[in-house]
Amino acid sequence: MTITPLPPAGANTALPINRIDGEAITASRNDFTAFLENSIDQVNQAMTRGDRSIEMLHSGQAQSLHEVMIAVEEADISLRMFVQIRNKALQAYEEIMRMQI
Amino acid sequence: MDIFTTFAISSSALKAQKIRLDTVSSNLANAETTSTPEGGPYKKKSVYFQSTPTSFDKHLDSALRGSAQGVAVTKIIEDPDPPRKVYNPSHPDAAEDGYVDMPNVDVLKEMVDMMSATRSYQANVTTIQSAKRMAQKALEIGR
Repeated sequence: MTITPLPPAGANTALPINRIDGEAITASRNDFTAFLENSIDQVNQAMTRGDRSIEMLHSGQAQSLHEVMIAVEEADISLRMFVQIRNKALQAYEEIMRMQI
Repeated sequence: MDIFTTFAISSSALKAQKIRLDTVSSNLANAETTSTPEGGPYKKKSVYFQSTPTSFDKHLDSALRGSAQGVAVTKIIEDPDPPRKVYNPSHPDAAEDGYVDMPNVDVLKEMVDMMSATRSYQANVTTIQSAKRMAQKALEIGR
């Protein structure tokens, strides 16, 4: 059994994680930021879709009422999920800030 | 996102049932129509449902896993039943023998079809609400 040596303190690189098939993944710091940006973008798109379908309903271009309602519901659920992610991230941050040094 | 697949499928069903209700309303509106642009009395219309994948990636997914499919009205068919003959010699569309060709629409059957379409629509709305509640419950895990 081999022991992976820890990188020196202050080094910016994360520990390589070995996948089952042996291929090493290095989790970079940008992964979470990219995920966050991507999900913000998706939520924003869902909300824009909802807004646009309401606009189309009011201007009489909407194909059907249920499609408008479904677009709005999708936006609602996406936003709720994003708020939950934000809550979790904030919770983790506060937990770290409360840590005694 | 995957949680919205139910929405897409139920949405297609809602659209299909809406078209079905449209044809029922057309049949009821024209239950007494003896003259049409094509000539002859109005013919009863009915919808033809066909299951469809909701989009290409869903198509690929269903091909790989045999999973859920939406529904669509692919064509609207005319009932081949002969028109009803009603004796009314004073009618402008009456034939030589005094009989008028009335549409082959059975109002009672149309009412039943309408109720069926309404119930089906409600069932699909309930499916959407169910999917929504499931998603909201899943979000409560993080609370």
